Amino acid sequence: MTKTLLVTGAGGVGKTTIAAAVGVIAAREGLRTLVVTVDPARRLASALGISHLGDEPTPHVDEPLLWAAMLDAAASWRAVAMRHADPDVATRLADNEFFQAASEHFPASQSYAAADQAATFVQARAWDLVVVDTPPSGGGIDFFAAPAQMADLVGGRLLRWITGGPLPGRKLLYNRAARPMLRVADSILGSNLLERVAEFLVDLRTTYDGVARRGREIEKVMRESSIVVITTADPVPVREAVKFYRELPGLASTPEAVIFNRSLPDAWANPSVPPKTTAELRHIAELWGSETLRQRDMREEFSARYGATVATVPLSDEPLTDLDGLALLMSQGSGIPWERIGVG
Amino acid sequence: MLDKRLVIVSGKGGVGKSAVAAGLALLGQRNGLRVLAVEMGSPGGLSTHFSTGPLEFKPREVRPGLHAMHIVRSEALLEYLSLQLRLPGVRRFGAVARAFDALATAAPAIREIITIGKILWEVKEDRWDLVVADAPPTGQIGSYLRAPRSISELVPTGRIRAQSEWMTATLADADMTQLAIVTLPEELPTTETLETMRWLEDEHIVPPPVVITNRALPELEDKSSPDGVVGEIANLHRSLWSEQQHWLAQVPPDLTLPYMFGLFTPGEVAAHMSDELETLT
Repeated sequence: MTKTLLVTGAGGVGKTTIAAAVGVIAAREGLRTLVVTVDPARRLASALGISHLGDEPTPHVDEPLLWAAMLDAAASWRAVAMRHADPDVATRLADNEFFQAASEHFPASQSYAAADQAATFVQARAWDLVVVDTPPSGGGIDFFAAPAQMADLVGGRLLRWITGGPLPGRKLLYNRAARPMLRVADSILGSNLLERVAEFLVDLRTTYDGVARRGREIEKVMRESSIVVITTADPVPVREAVKFYRELPGLASTPEAVIFNRSLPDAWANPSVPPKTTAELRHIAELWGSETLRQRDMREEFSARYGATVATVPLSDEPLTDLDGLALLMSQGSGIPWERIGVG
Repeated sequence: MLDKRLVIVSGKGGVGKSAVAAGLALLGQRNGLRVLAVEMGSPGGLSTHFSTGPLEFKPREVRPGLHAMHIVRSEALLEYLSLQLRLPGVRRFGAVARAFDALATAAPAIREIITIGKILWEVKEDRWDLVVADAPPTGQIGSYLRAPRSISELVPTGRIRAQSEWMTATLADADMTQLAIVTLPEELPTTETLETMRWLEDEHIVPPPVVITNRALPELEDKSSPDGVVGEIANLHRSLWSEQQHWLAQVPPDLTLPYMFGLFTPGEVAAHMSDELETLT
């Protein structure tokens, strides 16, 4: 039975680092582990032994039970088209100039593609644990709503809105006389653009059955996964973490823990200053002391308000260039519910 | 930056760009300017710094002389259809707006021009001395800045095209527009800032940006390491500081904002931002 851990949270909080570090710990505990990342920093990618984008899991040279895969978020629509459309439609879709716009405007497509790929790895049953670093597009929580949103999109919602009624065939689409909406759009945008967009959407619709069916499988994998939320003690990512605690129970399951990354040790809150300390150093120690207090208050408030298991991973000055560094960082963490996230 | 009519603040997610945008808006207000602060991203990003609850499409006065609004795309579109394009006989605006928005999901630049267009109209009208836009992250800012030009290329005819030309000109005008990129002295924000700056150099859409580096640590000249916690703090501080110097050298900032130790609320952060910016500019 493959266990799955989804590592979520706002962008910029060290989500990828923690996903990688959990993977290293799991592999060293004897679990065959795959870490799936989306956009790692270069140093982290090389620590994991992956150098290029691609969907193939790569075994680590020095760590026998660890694999890593780096997903290409930009390839998302292409992957959906190739998987679920007839070959000639797939080629037409893949070459379509509206692809990029649609994938930028519809972050769910990136999340869908990442979730789809992660679910494929889980279903392969080749690993004991699959750790998924979720893409930050659309604010993180959208990852869990992506399968349903994607099915809705390709299912013709946009087409129905454009035509103001039934799903059109190619011919019906051009009968604009009866459709005031299309006349308005024509006058603003010019008719050429409108036709090209509509053709794209008609093609996209042929993938509906495949996307919807696969979406249900992906949702099943998500519901059976454990989830941890990563944040730092800053207002913006904490607001994002709160959203996960409020909204996730309806979409998947309650997070196992919120991990405050880059936490300062409690002992720094009121450091005893040796008598001969210079004023400059005393001042710096006071600054970090006030920061430590602020962080601690924020964690305590989160725990009290949402009944969350609150864990910490310390702020580190070590550049993370190898697996030992990642493992060390994680082992200095406290409060991490290892068993509940499938490790140990 | 306060001499311009429009300051667009962008940066990688999580670098504090909303706080900087709020600080700039407050600074403008303190200098007696009529300021409009525009929240372009998800609701709450900017408004939380003014502690006045959620913002709406209609600008609201959050401090004397400082108005703030949130861009709601459907409302911007309705306004655009009714006022700017002067469309005759469009009664079912709701359905039209929805259809238009659906189209815009699959067509490049349409959504973005509705948003950036609204901001540029506010600049053009003489209600404000300064418009500060808390813009989308650098990963997406290109498609907004490029929207007027993309429309010219994509749409051969149609009324939206005619609008795009003065918008392109306003964005390119160094007396009118300033882009500020907020970054941190860390690896990923630095990489993204460098990529954005290369893109900007190739595209020539806006005048050269200013780079604002946030959360810079003060140098600790004292080299001692006493036993115990104070020594730990000193060592970590020096080590983080020298790591920061490495990234600062990659993208030399025009302005450097300090790490704000121990500040709890977004309101406090924005007020300090504005003090720091005042000292620096």
